[in-house]
Amino acid sequence: MGHQVGEARIRVPDRIVKGEIITVNSIISHPMDTGFFRTKDGDPIPAYFINDVVITYGGDEVARFEWTSGISRDPVVSFSLRADREAPLTMRWKDNKGGVYTQSVDIAFTAA
Amino acid sequence: MAVYSGLPRRSFLQALALASAGIVGSGALSRSGRLLGQALPAGPGDPEIPNEEVARIYRERFGGRPITRAHVQLDMPAVAEDGRIVPVIIESDLPMTSERYVKGIHLIVDHNPDPHVAGFYLTPAAGQVSISTRIKMKRSTWVRAILETSTGELWADYTKVLVTLNGCG
Repeated sequence: MGHQVGEARIRVPDRIVKGEIITVNSIISHPMDTGFFRTKDGDPIPAYFINDVVITYGGDEVARFEWTSGISRDPVVSFSLRADREAPLTMRWKDNKGGVYTQSVDIAFTAA
Repeated sequence: MAVYSGLPRRSFLQALALASAGIVGSGALSRSGRLLGQALPAGPGDPEIPNEEVARIYRERFGGRPITRAHVQLDMPAVAEDGRIVPVIIESDLPMTSERYVKGIHLIVDHNPDPHVAGFYLTPAAGQVSISTRIKMKRSTWVRAILETSTGELWADYTKVLVTLNGCG
């Protein structure tokens, strides 16, 4: 994406009715280097990847993902969520070099 | 079929055979059978454990418990032209209630340097099992999606993906 490492977006539907199951789409900018490649000068590129993703909804942990460098560069992940209350949805990505990145969206209902 | 034009004839035929097998294997009938929970008889469609790495994952994470090919749909392209970016969709009709839910989804790529590519750990808050992402694949191989329920059952789906460009270095 050419963006700064850790720049992240979360997308949820514009219109959400209380109780419906929504799809949450996310993307974060990260090289996800495996450690198997070298630069043009022959220097090894060290492993650098997100290995832990935690999703909280209104403060409760609702999902957790364990990743390796086998996830593609600039990781995207989509998942389901039952939108049963108006509360922030937060994702926190951690990488193997101690980087921590967070992004949130508010789950808000439209009148049915 | 233009994507094969640069390959030798043998590779082309292998690709064609694999792609055809993929189309047959993911046919509507077998899909709906799996989602209805009818365990298909173990047969040539169920992949063997290919190496010690995958065997270790099975030992450590599933402890030798039986894994049944049902209730899971693993959707991937039959042919991945770029192994650096291969889309994956995992879905299931298993319930997501507080009494019984899918607590873990394991995505295993048999011949990757680290075959356990990802684990997705869920709670009933998900409402349903539907995960999509993009992964790297080193070469043509079986991919496994193995789901563990809160009651300890293991359900799976498998698909073979032909990779034309190594995505792992």
